[in-house]
Parts: sequence; structure tokens; C-alpha cells
Amino acid sequence: MPRRGKPLASRAELSTFLEGVERRAFKQAVFAVRDEEAALDIVQDAMLRLAESYGHRPVAELPLLFHRIVQNAIRDWFRRQKVRSLWTTLFSSLGGKSEDDEQDPLETLEAVGGSNPEELPQAGLERAQVLEIIEQEIAKLPARQREAFIMRYWEELDVAETAKAMGCSEGSVKTHCSRATHALATALKARGITL
Amino acid sequence: MNEAQFGNKVRHLLNQGLRANLKNPSRVAERLRAAREQALARQRPEAAPVHAWADNVLGTFGGWSGLTVRVMLPLVILAAGVSGVYSWQQYQRAAEVEEIDAQLLTDDLPIDAYLDRGFQNWLKKTSAEQ
Repeated sequence: MPRRGKPLASRAELSTFLEGVERRAFKQAVFAVRDEEAALDIVQDAMLRLAESYGHRPVAELPLLFHRIVQNAIRDWFRRQKVRSLWTTLFSSLGGKSEDDEQDPLETLEAVGGSNPEELPQAGLERAQVLEIIEQEIAKLPARQREAFIMRYWEELDVAETAKAMGCSEGSVKTHCSRATHALATALKARGITL
Repeated sequence: MNEAQFGNKVRHLLNQGLRANLKNPSRVAERLRAAREQALARQRPEAAPVHAWADNVLGTFGGWSGLTVRVMLPLVILAAGVSGVYSWQQYQRAAEVEEIDAQLLTDDLPIDAYLDRGFQNWLKKTSAEQ
């Protein structure tokens, strides 16, 4: 059905939307790719795509469009990484590179106050350490569960909007969210954190 | 605690942590601001009201690319086919008229024959039969 009469986003409205969503989008990209520089590139790319292709869509459509673009940009990043690692593997096999040179991606996440996140925390952990652990566990979720959980509970999209953004059914969204919640709760409990 | 309550608590903590646990928070903020400004500079210009309505309609079909593939392409093919058939029919009619004219012009009948009324009637009858 044509969307007649819906006001299109002005420059000010697009600016307000981007300013409100950019930090969360950056964090979500960091959860996925575990690299701040790459996450910044992803968010920058997503903003450009949104403004160039959908900059004058109705304001109400911007959140769904932007999140879909961000997820596509993250997938594109992984595809490029696969191609790069293929070439790296090919050349490194010629150069005899050791497997010990591979870096744990979690090392890119800076620990707060020098704490070791692998130790079981005490009941009275500081909020920053709790947050760090939550972010680590969110980053460990399977991609689709993380996407669904973040869109539903951090971006506050409803089930239908999340399904459109993820390109799946509403039933799949509910399943992903349920599994993500269970996995997070279990992981946090194992690390002594109860919300 | 149910799923929604858990999700709300996680959201609250995640919002608090938007500036935390970053290697260089001020640099991140500056990069995001620059990216936002760059995107705004490239915002698609606002179309005229008629075009904006058309753009909304097209958007329901997935944008220009979606409409082109699913709707416009079959319409273009259909229009081209109809146009081609019409042109071919017109050409055929013109060729037939030319043929008749040529036959009349190259016929061995003397020009005086066209003054004969009986011959005129015969011509009309012959044309009707064809």
C-alpha cells in the first residue's frame, strides 16, 4: 500500500536520528567484529548508505532501515575478512608462519582497571566490571541470537520490525531472543552475576 | 524474572556502558561525529511532491531496482510487443496497397479502359472479392 502523506525525513531529523543511534550501533558492531576501528568503519559506511539511499524516507522507517544496513555491513566485513584471510593463509603457508601468531580476538577488548575477566567475580563487583562481562557474553552469542536480542531489547524494536530488519519470520525472532536470553542468563550466573 | 525484564535490565546496563570500556572514547566520539556529518552532506535531496509520492509508491515495491525488475520490465516488454505488432500490421497494409497500385500502374490495359463505366464496376467488384 503506498505510504501517502507520511512526512519524509528532513536533514535535522536525520541528524537527530543518527546522533541518537550512532553509539549503540558502534557498540553493536564491536560486539560482532571485536575491533573498534573496524566497527567505526562499519558505522560510517552504514550512515552513508542510509543517507544516500534512504535519507528521505519517513522518519519512522529510519531505525529499521539503519539496523538492516548495519547488519549487512557487518556481514560484508566478515566476507572481506574471509577473502583476506584466505590470501593471508596462502601467502603465509609459503612463508612458514606459525599458528601461534594468531591473536585471540577478545584481546582487542580492553579490560577495565586491569582486571582479569576470566576470574570468577565476587558478589559485590563494581558496575563497570559487570558491564564488561555482559558485553563479553553478548559478543559470544551466535550472530543471529545477538542481532535479535539487541534489536528487541536495546534498540526496542517490536517483533515485527525486528523480523523485517533481520529478514526472518517473527517466530524465528522470538526463538532467537529466547535462546539468547537463556544463554546470557546462564553465562552471567556462571560468573556470579545476577541481574 | 521473565525475558522482557531481563532484556530491560541488560539495556539499562548497556546504555550506561556506551562510553565505557573504549580504548579512546574521545576519538570514537569524534569519528562518529565526522561520519554523521559526512552522511548528512550526502543525504539524498528531497524530491518534488509528485516525485516524492511516486518514490513512496516505488518504495513499497522495494525501491527503483525492485520495481524495475518485478513490474516495469514485464510492462516494457509488453508495450514493446504491442508496438511491434501494430507496426508490422501497418507495414503489411502499406505493402498490400503498394502491390495493388503497382499492378494497376503496370497493367497492360490502355488508359481509355478506365473511362469505361463497365470496367469501373468490374474493378470495384474485383476489389471487393479480394
